[in-house]
Amino acid sequence: MSKSYLEVGETHCAIGHPKSVFWQWMLTVDHKRIGLMYAAVILTFFAVGVLVALTIRIELFAPGAQILDGDTYNQAFTLHGVIMIFLFIIPGVPAVFGNIVMPLMIGAKDVSFPRLNWFTFWLYIFGAIVALTSLWTGGGFADTGWTFYAPYSLNTNTNVITTLVAAFILGMASILTGLNFLVTIHRLRAPGMDFFKMPLFVWGIYATAWIQLLATPVVGITLILALLEKVFGIGIFDPSKGGDPVLFEHLFWIYSHPAVYLMILPAFGIMSEIIPVFSRREVFGYRTIALSSASIAGIGYLVWGHHLFTSGMSDLAKTIFSFLTFFVAIPTGIKFYDWVATMYKGKIILSTPMLWALGTMITFVIGGLTGVTIAMIGADIHLQDTYYTVAHFHYAMLGGVVFLLFAGLHYWFPLMFGKMYNEKHAKIAFYLNFVGFNILWFPMFIAGYQGMPRRYFDYLPEFQIYHQISFFGALIFITGLIYMFTVLIKGIKNGTPSGANPWHATTLEWHLPSSPPPLENHTKVPYVDFRPYEYHHGEPVVKFDYKTMQRID
Amino acid sequence: MSHEYVPEIAIDRDGKKHEVQGWQGDFYGGKLGFWLFMLTEVMMFGAMFLTLTYYFTLHHQDFIDASSHLNRLLGGTNTVVLLFSALTMGLGLLKMRSGDVKGAKLMIWATILLALVFLGIKAVEWREEYTHGVFLGLDALQSGNEHSRPFGQILFYGMYFTMTGLHGFHIIIGIGLMLWLLKRINAGKVSTEHHILHFNIALYWDLVHLIWVFVFPYFYMIGAGNAH
Amino acid sequence: MHTNEHVNYQEQKGGYYKVLIGLLLLTTVTFIQPHMFLQSYTFVTQIMIGAIKAWLILMYYMHMKGETLIGWTVAFAVGLVVVFFAIVITDVGSFQFKTDSHITSQPHIEVNYHHEATEHEASQHDAGHTTSHEK
Repeated sequence: MSKSYLEVGETHCAIGHPKSVFWQWMLTVDHKRIGLMYAAVILTFFAVGVLVALTIRIELFAPGAQILDGDTYNQAFTLHGVIMIFLFIIPGVPAVFGNIVMPLMIGAKDVSFPRLNWFTFWLYIFGAIVALTSLWTGGGFADTGWTFYAPYSLNTNTNVITTLVAAFILGMASILTGLNFLVTIHRLRAPGMDFFKMPLFVWGIYATAWIQLLATPVVGITLILALLEKVFGIGIFDPSKGGDPVLFEHLFWIYSHPAVYLMILPAFGIMSEIIPVFSRREVFGYRTIALSSASIAGIGYLVWGHHLFTSGMSDLAKTIFSFLTFFVAIPTGIKFYDWVATMYKGKIILSTPMLWALGTMITFVIGGLTGVTIAMIGADIHLQDTYYTVAHFHYAMLGGVVFLLFAGLHYWFPLMFGKMYNEKHAKIAFYLNFVGFNILWFPMFIAGYQGMPRRYFDYLPEFQIYHQISFFGALIFITGLIYMFTVLIKGIKNGTPSGANPWHATTLEWHLPSSPPPLENHTKVPYVDFRPYEYHHGEPVVKFDYKTMQRID
Repeated sequence: MSHEYVPEIAIDRDGKKHEVQGWQGDFYGGKLGFWLFMLTEVMMFGAMFLTLTYYFTLHHQDFIDASSHLNRLLGGTNTVVLLFSALTMGLGLLKMRSGDVKGAKLMIWATILLALVFLGIKAVEWREEYTHGVFLGLDALQSGNEHSRPFGQILFYGMYFTMTGLHGFHIIIGIGLMLWLLKRINAGKVSTEHHILHFNIALYWDLVHLIWVFVFPYFYMIGAGNAH
Repeated sequence: MHTNEHVNYQEQKGGYYKVLIGLLLLTTVTFIQPHMFLQSYTFVTQIMIGAIKAWLILMYYMHMKGETLIGWTVAFAVGLVVVFFAIVITDVGSFQFKTDSHITSQPHIEVNYHHEATEHEASQHDAGHTTSHEK
């Protein structure tokens, strides 16, 4: 039998056939290895982002300056935003699981352009390095917030230029990832697998890839225009030369709002994988889930204006955007009802991935519904740029995307490493995270509703109690994170062998000849004449002979 | 990865055979990928045109005034130059596909030549504007001094230099790509049977032309009726 | 165009020349239009001519004829750009603070380019002394 993709020598390289293990990893074009490297880098940045956030929390423990002065505080929340958005959550699920799992799910040997995939990874690393160099060069890290709003970003003396360049490079990497996945999904599906036989995670990646491809260039060129404005003074966005900062906000959010769907859609895909597998039931409403991904991506392009309600948009545009924004809740709601209906009368198994998925259902519903409240113009005028908004998007992003990323990490862990982590400890880690998360963010809804503005390093004494509860929650949350990663790392080192399909799942990535998978994935490409989640009386329907990959059920 | 790729066969339950599409030698995949890449260019220039239209709406008359001072003769010549270069590129691809590799190479050289002519004319045009005091960084395009143009004109010229500059940058990239293509043809890596690279570079060149098709009227022609 | 099938150069080059002639004619129209017809709609007319040229290039030079998948992707992208235009230009077109805004009612600065401008334009800029510059 063929060796696993993790073993020495088992890889294809972009240049030559290096002997050393190091270069075999650096030059690999194998989608699974690239995905693993993404995972390592992205989770490292996540850790850095969390530490910066902890610094911010400590600063906010009491009114007045504690450990940071005002300017440093501005740089700190910008650093937190830039790392978490551009380096962690935008590449996040697509780069890690899109790379590792998606080609396996559709029965492909690799992505369509493996060398481009390799190049993209290094482009991402290059962008990350550029972003981090601005910490120590020029006037220090940008203090504009991750949104780089003009005209402040054009006037500040901090090193905005480097950060803009970095964001552009990272955007390019994101575009190329999306492009690669789109062609892969269109071209390399196993014979017989039409679009409605694809696993739902692939649908999520597909919808995401369209956003990556078509929305990212808009912000790319916006950043270039801001750069040219800073270097040559072409006048765009600078009101002293007649430019309109509102246009910057338009162009910025034309990308950055679809970007939140870019983050959440593949995460929803993970949820749609986990729920049927751990309920041992065929997913309810397969087509509605698949098409709701597509329609969230579609509607998501048309709602950016709700970020500009207080920026001086015309009343007409405000009304249109508020109206369109409500529509996003419909396909999202459909997904939630489908998941709940899948679990109904299912044989629910509360393994760690399922726990994370169920936890996300609670946190994301809170995040999503508070989003609907601030889609209303009237409420938004009151709540914009307060902690209410901050809590909303952290519930949606951290409690939605990141929780599901962790769910996927636990779900595909045996696939990636062929080993199993300690279930009991992993569950404890989940509960710590879940409880800590809610204590950390829920008080911010109240503080924000009462008027605590975001991005202020000082505040009135009446808000102190909320910040201190938050701080307490943050400690639990961080303990939970450390606990979780310790459990996972221990699992990689000395977990028990898991076998190829420990969860009794049905999709193709679990029908590999060995675990971890061999270099070129499936021994033979199967013919797909079955739906992705076929269970009968709690048992998978489709069975394969792993030598010929023909069905034997 | 250099060995000849043999497509795999998947067998369904009735014993019927289905050819599996691999990523190797996937002509349509390569074409689709490049089209998708071009869509990102469409979105990029689309966003710039959006910026342009935004300020055209705010500063209508300033834009028309500024546009009427651009050099329509040179701009028009460049339009025709690009038009012919698109033809040579297309004919070159046709020659490649019909097996005339030598003719294809000649056509690519012709395209490179026309691209250089385009850049040359562009340089003359920018120089002329520079001598009139209209250039990025000069006083006329800054606010609050005695040479300052009205806001709308500053924005018009700012976008003009940005967009024609980025378009020129694409031309330069295109020249680089064509030289690389010639190298690959000489090395025997691009041939009548395996011409996806040539096909995609031809697509790229058409895209560069396509962008100019909108850049030209938007900058040069909107104020044409106001000329002396 | 799905495969690498062989083509005959002599048979197909005619198409390229026909398209070239079409594009050259349209370019000529571009130049005479501002002086000949539809003068009050120069901008729209010019963009329409551009769109026709773009359509010719797409269909014949870029071989989009008969491409369904690629055709839909292009239509999707172009459609998105059009929607962005519709929304953003609607917004700025109904800008409520034209007379108050710094960027639309610029304080007039003495300019030195009148020697280039026609009488007509110069008089318009003089008007800017007293009223808003916005048209």
